[in-house]
Amino acid sequence: MFNHYLSLAVKVLLRRKFFTFISLFGISFTLLVLTVVTALFDHSFGPDATEPRQDRSMYVDRAVMYGPHSTWSSSPGFKLLDEHARDLPGVERLSLYEGDRTVHSYVDGRKISSALKRTDAEFWKILDFTFLEGGPYGTPDVAEARFVAVINARTRERFFDGKPAVGRWLEADGQRFQVIGVVEDVSELRQVPYAEIWVPYTTAKTDAYKREVMGDWNAIALASTKAAMPGIHDEFNSRLRRAELPEPKHYEAIVAPFETKFESFARNMPTTDRKNPDSQVWRLIGLLTGLALLFVLIPTVNLVNINISRIMERASEIGVRKAFGAPARTLVGQFLLENVLLTLVGALGGFLLSLLTLRIIERSGVFAYAHFTLNPRVFAYGVGLAILFGLISGVYPAWRMSRLNPVEALKGGSSR
Amino acid sequence: MTRHLLRLIWNRKRQNFLLTLEIFFSFVTLFGVVLFAMQYANNARQPLGYEIDRVWSLSVDTKESSDDPEVKTRHRETYRQLLTALRELPQIEVAAGAFTGPYANSNWGGAIRLVGGRKVEHGFNRVTDDFLELFHVPLVAGRWFSREDDAATWTPVVLNRHMAQEIFGDQNPIGQIIKDERDPNDGPPDPNDKPEVRRVIGVVEEFRQNGELSTAGNYSFGRMRLDGPDPKAALPDRIFVRVKAGTPAAFEETLVKRAMAVATDWSFEVQPLDTMRQDKLRQYAIPLLVIAIIALFLLLMVALGLTGVVWQGVTQRIREFGLRRAKGATIVAVRRQVLIEMVIMTSLAVAAAVILLGQLPLLPLPSEMQIVAGPVFLASLAVSVAAIYLLTLACGWYPSRLATRIEPAEALHYE
Repeated sequence: MFNHYLSLAVKVLLRRKFFTFISLFGISFTLLVLTVVTALFDHSFGPDATEPRQDRSMYVDRAVMYGPHSTWSSSPGFKLLDEHARDLPGVERLSLYEGDRTVHSYVDGRKISSALKRTDAEFWKILDFTFLEGGPYGTPDVAEARFVAVINARTRERFFDGKPAVGRWLEADGQRFQVIGVVEDVSELRQVPYAEIWVPYTTAKTDAYKREVMGDWNAIALASTKAAMPGIHDEFNSRLRRAELPEPKHYEAIVAPFETKFESFARNMPTTDRKNPDSQVWRLIGLLTGLALLFVLIPTVNLVNINISRIMERASEIGVRKAFGAPARTLVGQFLLENVLLTLVGALGGFLLSLLTLRIIERSGVFAYAHFTLNPRVFAYGVGLAILFGLISGVYPAWRMSRLNPVEALKGGSSR
Repeated sequence: MTRHLLRLIWNRKRQNFLLTLEIFFSFVTLFGVVLFAMQYANNARQPLGYEIDRVWSLSVDTKESSDDPEVKTRHRETYRQLLTALRELPQIEVAAGAFTGPYANSNWGGAIRLVGGRKVEHGFNRVTDDFLELFHVPLVAGRWFSREDDAATWTPVVLNRHMAQEIFGDQNPIGQIIKDERDPNDGPPDPNDKPEVRRVIGVVEEFRQNGELSTAGNYSFGRMRLDGPDPKAALPDRIFVRVKAGTPAAFEETLVKRAMAVATDWSFEVQPLDTMRQDKLRQYAIPLLVIAIIALFLLLMVALGLTGVVWQGVTQRIREFGLRRAKGATIVAVRRQVLIEMVIMTSLAVAAAVILLGQLPLLPLPSEMQIVAGPVFLASLAVSVAAIYLLTLACGWYPSRLATRIEPAEALHYE
């Protein structure tokens, strides 16, 4: 029976090619947009070769100090993390690093701008970079503030014409570093590992960062087990309640929780209540769902309209089926199947189009080193979205169909 | 006739309701994009308030943010040396210190609470005396900051015309003191804070810091002194220089090396303002571009969908049209009936949308996003209304021809 419905569906779709085209166009375009957005999110937050232990990692990248009349929101400073984030129970490794900043070098009259990150040695143990040559710097290099640097392949290309770079020197922001390792390029959207040049944080021009509670620093904590994560979150929060704050006249508390990557992204939403140390993820998911629903509003109404038209066109067929005793449920099921089938075909088109769109975004260079792939995970999201979309746009028309009066339907359809 | 058509539409109310709903959503989307674009177009026509020919920006990172007066004094001293060193370079015509400037990504805003409680929000910048000359900012009244302000017991400020108008109305603002008061919600005043007395000494035509596409608003300048007695005054974040004509781009390296030689601990970033301008314009244009492309495809989808639905509706009603023609209605009259039905539904959707969108200017949005019921809003409304009628009529055109293609005799027993 199922096969019969399928072949019937294909026949019906081929009979009115214009309608089928309009439906496919709408479905493909809608899923194209949804897939591209999903791929961007997956690329930024999904598991990744450089961050294989992301499910056990927690991050602090935003701190908010507040008092009765003032709020100061930025990344935390080195001092805050150094004094309070060390030796948390349940943490296997902790890395502190400074957010990347653009530095400039002048090579033979050319200007080269690169993203430079100052990190500690643990950074290289929590994250898995692929080294093309050399290796990372270790604890002694950081402790003795050696001017060594790890660079990415593109930087090697720009400074040394792609020739082996280990042992050679480069100048950045007026400082000279000796290259000790070269890694594969990391996408700019992977905010934690991303940079083009990495150097020990102790090579900073001044040690002013050591006195800053608010600054431009981030922390990654690798929990020993997943179960330890809530404990780390709570312990750090309670330590922060005792933290000494600058300008106690203006600020009385600080909020800078250890969270998963997606949670800390949610914390940066403009509408977030930043003083709340609890996870903001559900608000973010709500917001994204709301936006997605708003976006599919027009395509859905459009598809519902087209579907109703298609049903009315087939009124006499439905009349015959009803007259011979087909229950409404069967008819509804058949129509939903048709619609989901059509949606899946449209989804396939949307997928091919999103591959193309993602290549265009990559080429445009908006996100440095981004390489989007439509992996099985994104594919699964896409198919899920397509089926949902197919059902939503099919339910109302199917219900209308099941209510058709067989006598009138046999005569060529009622328009009411 | 219209009454009759309305009844016909009412008879197919479910189907037509969904069509109207689709037109309604499409119209709202269209209006959003048109308003966005019209706002930009209108902004681009307003005066900018400065010129950026041959100007370069040198942003300064002191790597140390501190309220410690000792650190500040040290920084101030380094800044003074830096400015002097740069002015000595033969390629440089003018150099000025500023907190921020044209196309820079940092904005400094403030709010003045006037006596009586009216709040004036404004963009703010603190600059050295050379700033006006460097950017050729046209002064429309009064004077710019100069050495004669050194001895002043009040704080001199220069406003843009818009802000002077907002605070003083039609009075001459020059020499006036901005009468402000403390916000009672701000708690007890800090005994160390002396209230500032701000006196307007000049008015500039305009200063739209964020460039051509930004919306004009209030802007004011404060004076920055590097040799002044005020240890609390903020330090400059940037130095702007205007280079002599014909200076090559490679001068940038010389500039940075010179700056680094004076301030060894600091980091510098040099950018020609031309480049910053392009980045800024892109920042403004990309969101509009993305939204416009998506909206374009949505509308295309809607157009195809409407055509399909109307087409189907017409095929279903072939017998009805056949009957009309058999009773003597002309081809034109039948076609017109299809189109007028379309117009009626569009009008219903547009009327509902306009009533809804009319509430937008009343929304308490943040001032950046505030929608003003001005000419731009009305023009956008007009353009969108015209476009949506055009769109729906275009969708009805082909089906309406279809309605009359079949001979009345055939149409009457058409299945």
